[in-house]
Amino acid sequence: MTLLGVVALGWATVFVAPVAVRVLKRFAGWALAALLVVVLVSLLSVHATVGDTGEVWPWIPSADIALRLRIDGLGFLFAVIVLGIGAVVMVYSTSYLRAPRSPGFYTLMSAFAAAMLTLVLADDLVVLFVAWELTTLCSYLLILRSGPTARGPATRTIIVTAAGGLSLLAAVVLIIARTGTSDLTAALASDAWNQDPAFATAAAVLIALAAMTKSAQFPFHSWLPDAMVAPAPVSAYLHAAAMVKAGIFLLLLFAPATSASPTWPILLISVGLFTAVMGGAFAVQLTDLKKLLAYSTVSQLGLLVALIGVGTSEAMTAATLHVIAHALFKSAAFMGVGLIERRTGTRDMRELSGLARAKPWDAAMVVLAGLSMAGAPVMVGFVSKELMFESYLDAPFPAPLVWTLVAVLTLAAVLTVAYSTKLVLPIFRGHPMDVAPWRSSAAMSLAVSVVALTGLVLGPAVPVLDAIVGPAAAEAAGVPRSEIHGLSLWHGVNPALLLSLGAIALGITLGLAYERRRPDPRTTRLTGVDVVEAFQRGTIALGERVGALTRRDSPAAHLTPPIVIIGAAALTLPWTAGAIALPGTQDWLLESLLAVIVVAGVVAVLRASRRLTAVISVGVVGFAVVLWFFLLGASDVALTQLLVEILTVVVMIVVLRRMPRRFPPARTRRRVLAGVAAVASGVVATVATLVFTGQRPLSAVGEYFLREAESETGGTNVVNTILVDFRALDTLGELVVLGIGAVAITALLDARAAVERPSAPPPGGALVSASENSVFLRSAGRVLGPVMVLASAYALLRGHNAPGGGFIAALIGAAALVLVFVSAPSDDVRALRRSYLGIAGAGIVIAVGTGLLGFMDGAFLRPLHLDILGYKLTTALVFDLGVYLAVLGVILAAVDRLGLTPPPRDPAPASSRRPNRKEAAR
Amino acid sequence: MILALVIGLLVAGAVYLLLQRDRLRVILGFVLLSHAVNLLLFSSGGVFRRGEPLGSDPDPATTADPLPQAFVLTAIVIAFAITIYLLVLAVTGSRDEDDTDTDTDTDEAPRPDRKEAGR
Repeated sequence: MTLLGVVALGWATVFVAPVAVRVLKRFAGWALAALLVVVLVSLLSVHATVGDTGEVWPWIPSADIALRLRIDGLGFLFAVIVLGIGAVVMVYSTSYLRAPRSPGFYTLMSAFAAAMLTLVLADDLVVLFVAWELTTLCSYLLILRSGPTARGPATRTIIVTAAGGLSLLAAVVLIIARTGTSDLTAALASDAWNQDPAFATAAAVLIALAAMTKSAQFPFHSWLPDAMVAPAPVSAYLHAAAMVKAGIFLLLLFAPATSASPTWPILLISVGLFTAVMGGAFAVQLTDLKKLLAYSTVSQLGLLVALIGVGTSEAMTAATLHVIAHALFKSAAFMGVGLIERRTGTRDMRELSGLARAKPWDAAMVVLAGLSMAGAPVMVGFVSKELMFESYLDAPFPAPLVWTLVAVLTLAAVLTVAYSTKLVLPIFRGHPMDVAPWRSSAAMSLAVSVVALTGLVLGPAVPVLDAIVGPAAAEAAGVPRSEIHGLSLWHGVNPALLLSLGAIALGITLGLAYERRRPDPRTTRLTGVDVVEAFQRGTIALGERVGALTRRDSPAAHLTPPIVIIGAAALTLPWTAGAIALPGTQDWLLESLLAVIVVAGVVAVLRASRRLTAVISVGVVGFAVVLWFFLLGASDVALTQLLVEILTVVVMIVVLRRMPRRFPPARTRRRVLAGVAAVASGVVATVATLVFTGQRPLSAVGEYFLREAESETGGTNVVNTILVDFRALDTLGELVVLGIGAVAITALLDARAAVERPSAPPPGGALVSASENSVFLRSAGRVLGPVMVLASAYALLRGHNAPGGGFIAALIGAAALVLVFVSAPSDDVRALRRSYLGIAGAGIVIAVGTGLLGFMDGAFLRPLHLDILGYKLTTALVFDLGVYLAVLGVILAAVDRLGLTPPPRDPAPASSRRPNRKEAAR
Repeated sequence: MILALVIGLLVAGAVYLLLQRDRLRVILGFVLLSHAVNLLLFSSGGVFRRGEPLGSDPDPATTADPLPQAFVLTAIVIAFAITIYLLVLAVTGSRDEDDTDTDTDTDEAPRPDRKEAGR
């Protein structure tokens, strides 16, 4: 099996998860755990057979970005943790979850495991970034789905971690730009790190920021305790063992390169140690065991960050070993607390008592986790804590600095022991409490025991970890493997041991003291949560303020800035423009005639006091424009405009029924101001047209289309070939806009009913009887309707070679339906009751489907050409059918939702009108 | 030349209507503006080659540029959809909110909440 196979297998669990939940219900976790073990075994076999190896799979070759995977010491160590703890947590979940079926939970957990696996095996900066963001998303979704109270914490979590993601993105872009490759190994080996201090520092800070958000370092720590609303498996896996370690992984990965910058150790050591002490100090004060563990995680991650800052081979050994130790004891602790909560109904230590007698085995496992966390002898946590002290004592810093750092570290260690003491106290103290029945906690017990006992066994057996810790530490420290010393439990009596033992003694005393005094947890303190919350609110408020600058309900106010800007630009015309060449005019007689019509139309619109007059005048202008299009040699455009004019007038007339018949009078001041603005912009438009347009030769693209359209596409209507073939992606975008238009119209009228205005027909005359009035149109419609439908189909079919195509055909079809509507004696026209949203959606689906077919020939939306019995067929025609349906959908939506509402003949009460409208909507 | 004048005229009419209060007038202004822009697009492609871009092997010397035509064709349909949407906007809402109502709300009617927006 190859490395790619391992990662693919990891992602396969995501697709297995929903199926497994369907089949196995509650026990799906076992199957997924087994799968993760299979992935782990295959990873081990790859690692054993080929050792450190890389694989490349092409992804975006034009940008030299590839799915590069690599298994080295560091990646291997983290991959083992991710898969191993993942399998244990899956088993734990089978018993922990309340719901019998949780497809969402298992799918997301599998997705997280796969994303994490991809992250640690990535050998490409872009792949690394994508996997990083995927873990953020999985964490967000897993927190989000844990209940109605989880929205706030989930949002705050993603704000902080996504900010870190942006920092990583910036780092990735910077590194790719500077080193010229997205290959991670090559980029890290680049000379630029040593030769360009500014670059090294910038990249180091960005990487450190990204890692600090993910690993919950001050000042970004608040999201981790916040995220404790998530269920225990999520906390144990994402927020203790794996996801928060992604930050540590990133630091270890980049340390050999970024440590070239002097900022790197200063930043990491100061932030890390501060966070370690701060997290410990908070944890000691808490009584909610889960929150206590969360702050403990913050603190332990701080220790790791600081160790990476020290950067010696000894420190890196301590860091990598502590990553393993922490993953074991913290996941055990989280799962243990989850188990206690499930069985007793609480995780507040003030309410817990006597667990040692009530649940002796589980209690013992939690004690083991606590001992390892405190760094008590023979646990694996003891070995890593010892190494930690030694690496600080041996650090190549001046002596005063060393002793300061050691003092701070000792303080952190004392606090660690203190809160660990608090964790195990409820187990021994007090009367055995009632244990609530829970289905079966055997799986939970098993999971906790596996990790807790592993932590115990690995203490004395720590040399077996040499093979996995050694290479990782060597890579992180950037030294040969031989410089990493072997691990051992007993280092002899030395300062580190004394410090460690002293910390244990002091810590137990402190923990017991806190326990006796039981200070009330302070609640009024300004927490990081408030800060994030304030930041979020501030951002939204700022956005509102920016938006308010242009948010007016008056179009005039809204349009002022652009008009002023364009006007100012126009003032530069005399300088920028060359001589205005007044081109001669062809067809001047016809053009003058059309110009006269346009002038008459525009003047009539401006002067109209009745709405109907204005609408008709605009129609006149439109028809003049249609003729002009014909004159300019654009029959397709002209046909489209012609049909659009007809339909626009119809829709406007429909809408006019809901408006007063006359325009309200406008104020003189407004009329004058608008008139001035109008004249000025008209002059500018004319001059700009003369200056900028009309004088250049045929564009190169246009010439290409003219020459190659037939040979490339088989169509002779060049405009149509551009729409459905050359630039089909643009047209696809347009279809989506039309579909959205249909949805928007529907949504708008669903949310707020159209105003109903009973417009009584004027007394007398033919208009009184709707049915007699429409006799002529009805009779004509009987003949015209079928003809128009046929014409529509014909226009669609011939569009590739002659004027026609999807747009025109759809407009003809819509015109046929509108004719049926207009000629109907009542507003109740069944022929128009179509599911217009379905039609528009089908159009988009067909267009996209045709586009996907294009992949058979290598590219999205590339038309396929077929020769059937001498007829040339192309899938562009099918695409045009999609165009047809989308256009039809939006017109039907408007006519159906606006036109088919019968205005009440008699003033009916408002309550009886609504159902009418609703009915019409169906 | 005539085309440029007509574009200017359409823009002038459109701007005048867009600056009015009545929603239908604004919509009609939008329609006129879209005509003006479409003609401007044509103009940008050159208006002296007026042959239809149809048939086998059209002569580039006399045939109109097909690219602006394709632009305009899609622009017309999009503008149509927007016009419909604007028309729907113009008639949604209850009647007492409808500020086109002549008898309750004219330009002069003091509406403190609208006054600021109108400035």
